[in-house]
Amino acid sequence: MTAFLDLTNAPDAEVVALAQRGREDAFRELVRRYERPVFSLIFRMVRESATAEDLSQDAFVKVLNNIDRYRPEFKFSSWLFKIAHNIAIDFLRRRQLDTISIDGSPYAATAAEAEASTFDLDAGGENALDALAAKELGSAIERAIGALRPEYRACIMLRHVEGRSYEEIAATLDLPLGTVKTYIHRARGQLREALVHLRE
Amino acid sequence: MQHRHLLPDEVDQLLDGASGLDAAPLRAHLAGCPDCTRQLADARIVCEALDALQHLAPSPRFTASVMAQVQVLEPWHVALANGAQRLLPASRPMRMVMLASGALVAVALSATAIGLAMRPDLALYAAGLAAGRARGALLDAAGTLIHDVFGQTALEALRSGGGSTVALGGAVLLTAVAVASVGLRAAATTARRTRE
Repeated sequence: MTAFLDLTNAPDAEVVALAQRGREDAFRELVRRYERPVFSLIFRMVRESATAEDLSQDAFVKVLNNIDRYRPEFKFSSWLFKIAHNIAIDFLRRRQLDTISIDGSPYAATAAEAEASTFDLDAGGENALDALAAKELGSAIERAIGALRPEYRACIMLRHVEGRSYEEIAATLDLPLGTVKTYIHRARGQLREALVHLRE
Repeated sequence: MQHRHLLPDEVDQLLDGASGLDAAPLRAHLAGCPDCTRQLADARIVCEALDALQHLAPSPRFTASVMAQVQVLEPWHVALANGAQRLLPASRPMRMVMLASGALVAVALSATAIGLAMRPDLALYAAGLAAGRARGALLDAAGTLIHDVFGQTALEALRSGGGSTVALGGAVLLTAVAVASVGLRAAATTARRTRE
């Protein structure tokens, strides 16, 4: 009989090993763990929620249907992000998209949900003016990210939202380390330029 | 203190939290250079804004949609191991009994195999005896079936006619089964069309 384990706190490697043994709850746990990071990465690259959801699904289906090919010497999340990034880049190559701004989660059903999912620079903000400025900056930076080149967007997202090191980003995106540093430096510069009006 | 402004790479190093000996001269320069301090502060605002970006949630049906397209396959070796595990009794004493029984059966089979290998004539005799008994049992079963289905007359005709009669009878039987199948299928199709 297959023992039922609580996978919530298990390391990725353990969950992946169980998935490789055909455990459906392990598959579900991997989706639960990474649906938001993958969707966020793809959404910020393609800037369209329905498309981002379809592409995110494609990424998970591709990874999970080939879970037996996963090599444990790499981080599972790096492998998943690599597939997700490739799928997003393939899509962008096929189709040029206009940038759109977002304020909060694209699936926020109510104003309160949208409010909760919007950018919040300082959760313990001193006053309403600071909170307003933070929100304005959050929306502005989302718009500014949308104006970056897709390669820059991916690097910036992996660096700042996922907290990956330069080396991990290079491995994930199949780019030389120097290129990753250059992309991140240029992206930060462009974002600084795009946000300069908010500081004045 | 260094007397030139910070290079872009050096600003990035400080933004990424560089510390130690490499960062010391950079920080020393910042202490005396308002321009570089302002440049770093501007860059830090952007980085802090980026660090504060939140994950976005897909729709609630996301997991179900993914799982509907994923093939959850249990590898054969895992299925085999799980199947074997299911056969094992839950309690330890019962597992020991099962293990001992298995060992006894294995020993008995091994001894028989070794004995037969050492006496090939005996093995051939035993094989011939077993084949003869199997053939007899098969013919008896077929005879009983023919008697029950077609009656004693048919059975006697088969016995007296030999192989050609058996072959003819078999062909007639197969033809009858095929005709009956086609007829039943046609009848079912007609009935379904009538209902529609």
